[in-house]
Amino acid sequence: MNKLSPADLDKMSKAPSDKPKDWIKVGLSSCGIAAGADEVFNFFVEEVKKRNLQIEIKKCGCAGMCYAEPLVEVNVEGLPSVIYGSVNKDIATKILEKHVISKMLVNDYIFEVLI
Amino acid sequence: MYTKVILVKDTDLKREDKTREFYTRLLDYLREASLHEQIQVVRVADIGVYDQGLVVKVLPDKVTYINVQDTDVKKIVDAILSEGKVIEDLVFKPKAKQHRIVLRNCGKIDPESIDDYIASGGYLALKKVLGELGQLKLIDEIKLSGIRGRGGAGYPTWMKWNFAREMNSAEKFVICNADEGDPGAYMDRSVLEGDPHSVIEGLIIAAFAIGASKGYFYIRAEYPLAVERIEKAIKQAYDYGLLGSGILGSSFNLDIDIRLGAGAFVCGEETALISSIEGKRGTPHPRPPYPSVKGLWGKPTVINNVETLANIPVIIAKGGKWFAQIGTQTSKGTKVFAVTGKVKNSGLVEIAMGATLREIVMDICGGTLSGKPIKAVQTGGPSGGVIPEELLDTPVDYENLQKLGSIMGSGGMIVMDDDDCMVDIPKFYLGFCVEESCGKCAPCRIGGFQMLGYLKKISEGRGIPEDLGQLRRIAQAMQKASLCGLGQTASNPVLSTLKYFEDEYNEHILNKRCPAGKCSSLITYTIIEDKCKRCGICFNNCPVKAISGSKEEGYSIAQDKCIKCGQCFDVCKFKAINKK
Ligand SMILES: Cc1cc2nc3c(=O)[nH]c(=O)nc-3n(C[C@H](O)[C@H](O)[C@H](O)COP(=O)(O)O)c2cc1C
Ligand code: SF4
Ligand code: SF4
Ligand code: FES
Repeated sequence: MNKLSPADLDKMSKAPSDKPKDWIKVGLSSCGIAAGADEVFNFFVEEVKKRNLQIEIKKCGCAGMCYAEPLVEVNVEGLPSVIYGSVNKDIATKILEKHVISKMLVNDYIFEVLI
Repeated sequence: MYTKVILVKDTDLKREDKTREFYTRLLDYLREASLHEQIQVVRVADIGVYDQGLVVKVLPDKVTYINVQDTDVKKIVDAILSEGKVIEDLVFKPKAKQHRIVLRNCGKIDPESIDDYIASGGYLALKKVLGELGQLKLIDEIKLSGIRGRGGAGYPTWMKWNFAREMNSAEKFVICNADEGDPGAYMDRSVLEGDPHSVIEGLIIAAFAIGASKGYFYIRAEYPLAVERIEKAIKQAYDYGLLGSGILGSSFNLDIDIRLGAGAFVCGEETALISSIEGKRGTPHPRPPYPSVKGLWGKPTVINNVETLANIPVIIAKGGKWFAQIGTQTSKGTKVFAVTGKVKNSGLVEIAMGATLREIVMDICGGTLSGKPIKAVQTGGPSGGVIPEELLDTPVDYENLQKLGSIMGSGGMIVMDDDDCMVDIPKFYLGFCVEESCGKCAPCRIGGFQMLGYLKKISEGRGIPEDLGQLRRIAQAMQKASLCGLGQTASNPVLSTLKYFEDEYNEHILNKRCPAGKCSSLITYTIIEDKCKRCGICFNNCPVKAISGSKEEGYSIAQDKCIKCGQCFDVCKFKAINKK
C-alpha cells in the first residue's frame, strides 16, 4: 500500500478537522461490550439509517468510567458535547429523538465527569 | 436555540434526593423570567463532585457551583446572563483532577483507525525521533523526563535503554509486557484496546533507541479484544510503512510479532516472560545478567510495560522537560489506577504523581458506594500492601508507597470498608501467590504455603499469639531469599496488615471474633425473636435447610447444620437475623 513519508504524516495530522460534524461515539472496549455496548452501537447504526439522520456513529475505546458502561458521547452542533452512561436501547432512542432531533439534552443519564 | 445549559444534581447522600425539586424550582424561575428558551435545565446522573449538597454546573462555561440553596437561584441565573461573572463563594475549586497522558486518546479516537491516531498527532514523535533526534538525543530526552517503569519496579527507563544501546550485538530485541496478571488490574488492557497505536509507537521508538530490529507484544490470551486490536493496528502500521523496512523513508527496520501468554502470573516477570517467548517453561532466572545485557535468545533486550510505552510518544512530542514538571521529586509524570472495591465510581483514574490516595478515592471516585467510612486502600495487588485510612493523605509516588509497606505496582487500587477483614484480604492474596508460584525456589514455594497455613488457622479461630511472630519470620525469609519478585513481595499483604491492623489479628486469635464478619468459622447466625415477623423468607432461602420452624411457631437456626453462607442475613427484610 501507500507507504508514508514524513511529509505525508505532517499533512495527515494537520488535516483540517472537518467542519464540526455531528457524531455519536460508543465506547467499545471489553468493559463496554460486557455491558451491552455493541448492541447499543448496532442500534444507533440501524436507527440512524431508518430515520435518515445526518449523524455519524463512531467507535472508541474505554474512557475509564467503568461503573457507567455502556458510555455514549454525543456531539451535536449548538449543544455542549456530553456523555450518557448506562445506555440501553430505550435511552438510545431518547438520545436520538430528544438530543439529536429536538436539540435538547436528555434528563437523568448524563455523566458529567469529564476530566 | 439554547445558549446555556444548567446541569443539576443533588450530591448529598444522607437525605432524600432533592434533584427533582431543585430542577423544578429552576425551571419555574426561568419560565417566569422568560428565559426558558435560552437556558435549558438538565438533571444528570453524575456531576463529577461528591458530597457537596446541591450542585449545578453551567455549560459551556464549565463553572460548577456547590452547596447551592434554593435562595441562590436568582444569583446563579444572573451570573450566567452576565457572561463571565462568577459567584465566588459558591464556585467549586477542584482539589484533585485527572491528568490524562496515557489515556489521552482512550474514549476519544477510534482504536481501529490509524488515521484517527495520526489525526490526533500520532506517529509524529516517531518522525521526530527518526528525522531529528537520533539515538543519543532520544535517550537524553527520556532521561530528562525522568520516567520510570510502570510495570511495578519503577526502574528508570532511560537506563535500561542505554544499557541495551551500549551493548555490541548484531541482534537486539524489544518486548512490550502486556501480561497484566495482577488480579484487579486492567489498565493495560484498556490502553491496548482503546489506543493500540500509542503503545506500538512507543515500542518502535524503544527499538530505535537500542538498535533492535525485532519486537514482540507479549499479551495474555485472556485478552482477545486487546490481541485483535493490536493485530489490526500492527497491520495498519505495516501498510503505512511505519513498520517493516525503511520506516518513514529512513534506514531503520523493525518487525513486530505477537506472542500469547497462557495467563500465569509469574510469566509477567521479565526473565520468565523471556523463557516463555523462547518456548521454554515460564520460570524466572536469577539476575544479573539483566535482560538489557542478556535477554531473549541471549541478546540484549528491553522489556517495557504497556503504560511505560504509551507515555513515550508524548514525552518526545512535548519534551522531557515538560514531562518532568509533572509529578514529585522522584516520580515523574502520571499513573493510571484501576480503582475497584467499595468505591462509588470504579474505573480508571489517571492522576499526576503526588496526588494523594484520598483525592483519588474521595474526590475523583466519589468515596464509598455505601457511604460507610473507608477502612483502608490496597495498592499493588498481591505484591502490595494495605494502607489504612489515617494515611490516605500520603502523596502517591514510588517511594512513599514503599515506605508505607505497599508498592505502586502496576496500578490496581482496591478500596475497603468495615466489611473487609484484614486477615481475610491477605489470605486471598497469599492464596493467589501460592497458587501462582512457579515452585522453582524453596522460600517462595514452602514459605508461601506455610504462611497461608497460619492465616487459615487464624481465620478459623485456631490461632495462637505466637503465630504472628512466625508469620513475620517467614515473611522476612521470603523477602530475602526468593528468586523473583513474586516470592520477594508475596508477604507484603500480610506484613502490611500486621503492621496496621494487628488488633484485628488479635481479635481473631484471642477473642475468636472476626470484627468484619467475614471469616465464616467465627460467625454465628441467630434469629432475634422480637424482630422476627415470621415471614419465612429465610426458611425458604437457606440452601442447607438449617432453619426449621413454621409461620405459626417461628423459626430457629440449627448451628450444626448452618454453613454460614449468610443468605438468611441478606434476605431478611426485618433485620431479624443476628450475625456475630
Ligand atoms: C511476578 C511478577 C509479575 C509481573 N507481571 C508484570 C506484568 O504483568 N506486566 C508488566 O509490565 N510487568 C510485570 N512485572 C514486572 C516485569 O518483570 C518488568 O519489571 C517490567 O515489565 C519492566 O517494564 P517497565 O520498566 O516498563 O516497568 C512482573 C514482575 C513480577 C515479579
Ligand atoms: S426472614 Fe426475617 S422476619 Fe422472616 S422469618 Fe426469617 S428471620 Fe423472621
Ligand atoms: S447462614 Fe446460610 S446456612 Fe446458615 S442458616 Fe443462614 S442461610 Fe442457612
Ligand atoms: S517461584 Fe518465583 S520467587 Fe520463588
